[in-house]
Parts: sequence; structure tokens; C-alpha cells
Amino acid sequence: MSQSIALDVPSAARSAGPWYRNKKLDQWLCFWSVPVFYNLFGIVFVPLSWMMPPRAPGNTEAGVIEFMQSPNLLLATTILILVVGLSAVGNAVYLSQMKRMTVSPVLRYAFIVGAATGAIVGCLFPMFCFGLGAFRSGYSPEVLQLLYDFGYMSFIGCLGCFFLNWSCLGLSILLDENNTLPRWLGYYTIWQSVTEIFASTLWVSHSGPFAWNGLLAFWFNMVLYVPWQFIVYLCIYRAIKSQPESELDNFRPAAAAAH
Amino acid sequence: MTVYLRNSLTYAWSFLVGITLFSWWLARARGGEYQLDMAITVGVLVMAAVKAWLVIAHFMEVRGGPAWLKRTTYGWVVGVLALLLAAYAFSH
Amino acid sequence: MSNTEAAVMADTGSEQGAAGYLPGEPGMWFFIIGDLLIFGVYFIAYVIYRGQQPELFLHSQAFLNQGIGVTNTLVLLTSSWCLALGTQAARSGQRRDAVRLLALTGVIGGLFPFLKLLEWAPKLAAGHTPGENLFFMYYYVMTGLHLCHVLLGLVIIGFMLRHLRRAPAPNIKFIEAGAIYWHMVDLLWLLLFALFYLMR
Repeated sequence: MSQSIALDVPSAARSAGPWYRNKKLDQWLCFWSVPVFYNLFGIVFVPLSWMMPPRAPGNTEAGVIEFMQSPNLLLATTILILVVGLSAVGNAVYLSQMKRMTVSPVLRYAFIVGAATGAIVGCLFPMFCFGLGAFRSGYSPEVLQLLYDFGYMSFIGCLGCFFLNWSCLGLSILLDENNTLPRWLGYYTIWQSVTEIFASTLWVSHSGPFAWNGLLAFWFNMVLYVPWQFIVYLCIYRAIKSQPESELDNFRPAAAAAH
Repeated sequence: MTVYLRNSLTYAWSFLVGITLFSWWLARARGGEYQLDMAITVGVLVMAAVKAWLVIAHFMEVRGGPAWLKRTTYGWVVGVLALLLAAYAFSH
Repeated sequence: MSNTEAAVMADTGSEQGAAGYLPGEPGMWFFIIGDLLIFGVYFIAYVIYRGQQPELFLHSQAFLNQGIGVTNTLVLLTSSWCLALGTQAARSGQRRDAVRLLALTGVIGGLFPFLKLLEWAPKLAAGHTPGENLFFMYYYVMTGLHLCHVLLGLVIIGFMLRHLRRAPAPNIKFIEAGAIYWHMVDLLWLLLFALFYLMR
């Protein structure tokens, strides 16, 4: 407690100097990559490919073929492979805040690996499946059906990867003695992540509330997840803002003394 | 020991056990297949809500808690019960 | 600092002033209320889906083991009762009683997962898997999610016991927060029991 007050003093003398001298520039760049990424992500998955909202697992053959061969899918996949790296940049900002927490580093390593696996399985795989359908017009209906199932299974089934990753974040927030992020956010994170376990049911259900387009396996998770994602970034924003400069990894005491 | 037996928590617990056994008896199988039964369902759900209230008020100690907590938790019990009964009445 | 805080809280706890005493910490209540709302949505959705095929649900319900269901209800109620008494004992400084009551809570609560396995195993062996129909899917998912809560609760009770035994001056806020969580697990089961086993 008293330590953080002492550390606040040099940050008061901050503001001077041009923006590119800002010691938190790296974190801010990462932070602002997030809205860019999510907007592009939304464009790729909704108006470009129309894979969201999820189509039914029991879609007709004609419906599957029409969807899988729509030319927009190529454009959507191209945009996605160009910007998917931004998700790594966005996760870096979580990591730099998790480093401030008084918890075992194991939690942040598991967090980042969970985020990476989730991004590959839940973001790249589905778009590759759908993009492949559009890439070559000669695929048989059976192959298209396979790619369709694979695409949706990995997109919605990957919530299990995120279960691990968000649980690590939630646990870190709760165990942290520095209050880097608010405690209630830790609890919100835990129940948000627990509901993601529901996605495991889509391997068994072909229709109804537990199917991949179902009320409980998908929609209810989204209702909890989307506001949560906004709130987490708002809290991260405040955490970066209030972080004392002397605590930063790129802080150089000599340079600070010269000011 | 008597401190623990002559305690409002113990009274709450004995009510909870009594209601549980009663609702179990009420819904006991009456031979053959289960039948749709409005009276049993309403009885069982109302008893579950009463038990939920007992746990919240006594075990969770909401009884002596701030007003907002009472409003939220008791409101949850009443709201869930009302919606369950409405869902049952309109969908069955 | 936490010692004096705990002592102050213990005092206000017994007085129950006009503003009311908040057991545990606000964050825990945030979690509890959120969890209750989430489960509330699942419960209501269950009744609505049940209404779409009542015969199937009634027929499947008949396969559930009422005896284990009611035993598990009594198990959770009794362990919750012990924990509530233990919290009271901890607050009034009777540490030995508190430790005993918490240990009893853990032992009784520990029966729950064991009975759940005894219930699930024959059912799965008889072919009543989550894929059989919507009722069994709901049944396994909801009771499974609840079982996760129970297991987490048992871990928390373990930490509470350790804290009561070792801490020089136990932080009553921590004991209360853990207790509230366990009571919520109990509360959710009461509704699950009514919806899956008893409802007709």
C-alpha cells in the first residue's frame, strides 16, 4: 500500500514530453488495436461471411452448398488471415497487466497459451473451412458438409479453450493483492467462463437448446460474454492509466532522474 | 451443545428437512407412468421457493442484512417462482 | 489490520444495526447474485422446453433415482446447517467448535459427489446418456454444472478450515464469504431437485 503511494510520485511528473515519449505507448498501442481487431473480426464473421448468427446444424444440403460457395467467404478469409495477429497484440495488453498481480506466473502463462489455442481453433480453423469451400468450386456436397460441420464445431466448440484462459484471468484478479483489476470483475469473469463449458454439449445435440446454434449452448453465452468483453477492456484501460510509470518494464531510473 | 440445538438455524434446518420430506412424499410415484399434474407441480415448486427463502434468510444471514440485499435475493426467489409457474401454466 | 477489522465486523455482526450487516464481502454477493440469475434463466428455459414435449420429460423423469435425490438434498441441507452454526461459532470466538462444525460440513458435503456418482453410473450403464433426449441432456448438464460448484465448495471449505486452524486471528469475512457460497450451492440444488425429480 505505502509502496504504491511512493511509486506514484514520479508519475506525477509524467505528462511532459511529446506523445511518442510516453512510457506506456506500447500498452496503449496494444490497447487500441483491440477495437480495430474486434471490428474487423465482426465484419468478417457477420456481414461478409454471414456465418454468424450460426446456421443450423440440420441445414439442408442446398443451404450448405449455397453458403459454402458464396464468394464473399474468400474476401472474409483474406481479411481474417491478415488481421488475426492482432489478437495476439490484444492479449499482450492483458498479460502486461497480469504481470502486476501478486499471483503465480503459472496463471499468466496458462492464460496466454489458452488465448492462443482459442484464437487458432476458434478463429482461424472455421474461416479456413469456409474459405476452402469457396476456393474450389468442384468440392462434392459431402466434403462441403464436412467443412461446414468442422467450421462451426471449431468456432463454437472452442469456447472450452477460453474456459481455461478466462478462469486463469478470473483467478488472478481474485488472488491479486494489488487490486490491479476490481474484485467484482474477477467474479464476473469466473461465471462468464463457467457458462462456456456449455459449449461441450454441441457434440451430442444436433438441434434444440444445446446444439451449436442453441439458446443455452450459444446465445446465452453470448449475452454474458459480449458485455463482459467490453467491461474487461474498460477496466484494463483504467488499470493502464493508473499504473505508475516506475513500475513499467521499460522504466529507466537514470532517465527519470534526469527529468 | 444446547446452544447449537436451541438456535434459530436449527429450527430453520428442521423446517427445511420437513418440507423436503413432505414434497418428496407429495410427488411419490403412484404406480405406473408419471402423469402431468398441476397440483403436485405447483405444490413442489412453491415448497422449493419457501426452502430457498429459508436458506437465504437464515443460513446466508440475509435476514439481518442491508435492504438492497433483501430486495435482490428475496426478489430472485419470488421472480423465479413466478416465472417457473407462468412457464409451466402457459407451456404445458 | 485485518485482525482489528475482523473484530469490528464480529461486533457489528451480532448487533445487526438498522443499516443491516452484510455477511462476507460485496464481491462475493456480486458473484452469488450473478450465479443465481444465470441459473434462474436455465431453470425457466427448462420448464419452457419441458412444455414442448411433456410426455418425453415425464417418461424420462421416472428413471431418476428419487431416493438418492432426496438423500442428497438432506445431505446438503445438513452440511449447510453445520456450516451456518460453524460461522456463528467462529464469529463469537469459539474456534474449536467452529473447526469441528466446519470439518463436519466438509465430511457431510463430501457425501454429495459420492452419491452423485452412485446415481450417474447405473444410469449411464443403462444407456441413459446425455444424447438420449433433451431431458437427459438437461439433467446431466445442470447437475454436472452444480456438481462443479459442489467440488469447488469443498475446496473452499478446506481453505476455510485451514484458515480457522492456523490464522492467529481468523478473518471472519473470509469464513462468511465461503459459507455464503456453500449455502448458494445448497439453494441451487433445492431447485434442481424440485425441477428434475419432483415436478410433474
